Amino acid sequence: MTNINDPWRDDEVTTMLNDLPEVEPPPTLAQEVMSTIASRTPARGIHPPAISTKKGATMAKKVLWIVAASAAAALLVMRFAGYPPVERGTEATIGAAQRYQAPQISSADVKTQDTQLQAFLQSDLFRQLAADKAAQQALKNKDFQRALSDAAVRAALVSADVRSEIIASRVAENGVRQDAIRAQNELLRAALDASPALHVALASNDVVAALAASNALHVALASADAAIWLSNEAAINAVMSAAAVNQLDAAAVSAGAAAGGAAKDAATGAAR
Amino acid sequence: MDDSGDAAAIASCLNGHPEAYEAIVTRYQRGLFNVALRMLGNYEDARDATQNAFVKAYEHLDSFDPEQRFFSWLFRILKNECLNVLRARRPSQPVSLELPTARGADPVEVRERQHAIQTALLSLPTEYREVVVLRHFTDLSYDEIAATLGIPATKVKSRLYTARQQLGELLMEWRVAR
Repeated sequence: MTNINDPWRDDEVTTMLNDLPEVEPPPTLAQEVMSTIASRTPARGIHPPAISTKKGATMAKKVLWIVAASAAAALLVMRFAGYPPVERGTEATIGAAQRYQAPQISSADVKTQDTQLQAFLQSDLFRQLAADKAAQQALKNKDFQRALSDAAVRAALVSADVRSEIIASRVAENGVRQDAIRAQNELLRAALDASPALHVALASNDVVAALAASNALHVALASADAAIWLSNEAAINAVMSAAAVNQLDAAAVSAGAAAGGAAKDAATGAAR
Repeated sequence: MDDSGDAAAIASCLNGHPEAYEAIVTRYQRGLFNVALRMLGNYEDARDATQNAFVKAYEHLDSFDPEQRFFSWLFRILKNECLNVLRARRPSQPVSLELPTARGADPVEVRERQHAIQTALLSLPTEYREVVVLRHFTDLSYDEIAATLGIPATKVKSRLYTARQQLGELLMEWRVAR
């Protein structure tokens, strides 16, 4: 009989090691690997990024840095030198002044860009997100961002049924009833199990309201490849910057129209 | 699929058919995931490490030397991923393992034993742990383990012996504490 102070024999340890069961890998592992690869492979399908673009990518990054640095330097010069000068007679036009001071893409915004990010910035989805306030409110939620960095969450939210079920379980001002949605759908249950951040995100009214109201968000979530950008900080910053520029442009246009209207009224009054 | 199957799939990927990589993932996911699980002791970490290893391997497929075994190359990438996870892990972070138990066995006792050996395994230095994991959780021979780790087969055997001795000492503490 083995005494508790007897040393362990090599074969005992071996037996214990061999008794450790082999564990099934997660059922979605291969699918997640392939979707990650697909999202990182250029659309034309010429693989390995490392093969075909290694030198080109390095050069492109250098060029990107040079362009970003030059743009930042030029903006600084313009900011402090007051260039270009405001035309005489338009000094009071708010629109012109605001246009020159609107936030521009800076080197900080482009530091993590790569070809895929560039493609995203030029996509319809990016334009839709930049024009969609509800989507932007959801994207500001850090827990929503963290949740979407999880492949299980993206895989669940691809399903329109899952998104509908989340919206249907909405409780005013309190996100969704999580016990209800947990019971509704296996994908959703897996996503909630995988991502604590999703629990917190779904308790946010901003996130659930955006899911209910934002077409751009639905378009993005309907594709696991597109949804990955909603967890990418550089992409989100770019959406927010573009949204801010859109708002300033809109404000400038309306201010210009108002100033033009006032001037016209004044001119009409003077003529009388 | 034998190693020539790997070569065909890799060639296909390099010729612009990323979908050919799925056969490689399907073939190695079980072995690689179990290695990661035993190296890290945590299901989620093992899943992330395995996924990252597959993606990185794909991205650097052009640097794979066809003279090597593909699994050996994959393992080295996975090992780096595991080391990154271990470096990032806080010392107090608990290890959570939910593993199946053998039929007919007392599940409580089996789980206790499995937890003890897994905990002991995680206490080993990485160079000992990896030898144990490759020996017990893959079907590699001593020579193949040696090639995978880039050390002589004699060193594999001596590390394995030392590792089991250390595991024995760690398990003594568990047996006394029971």
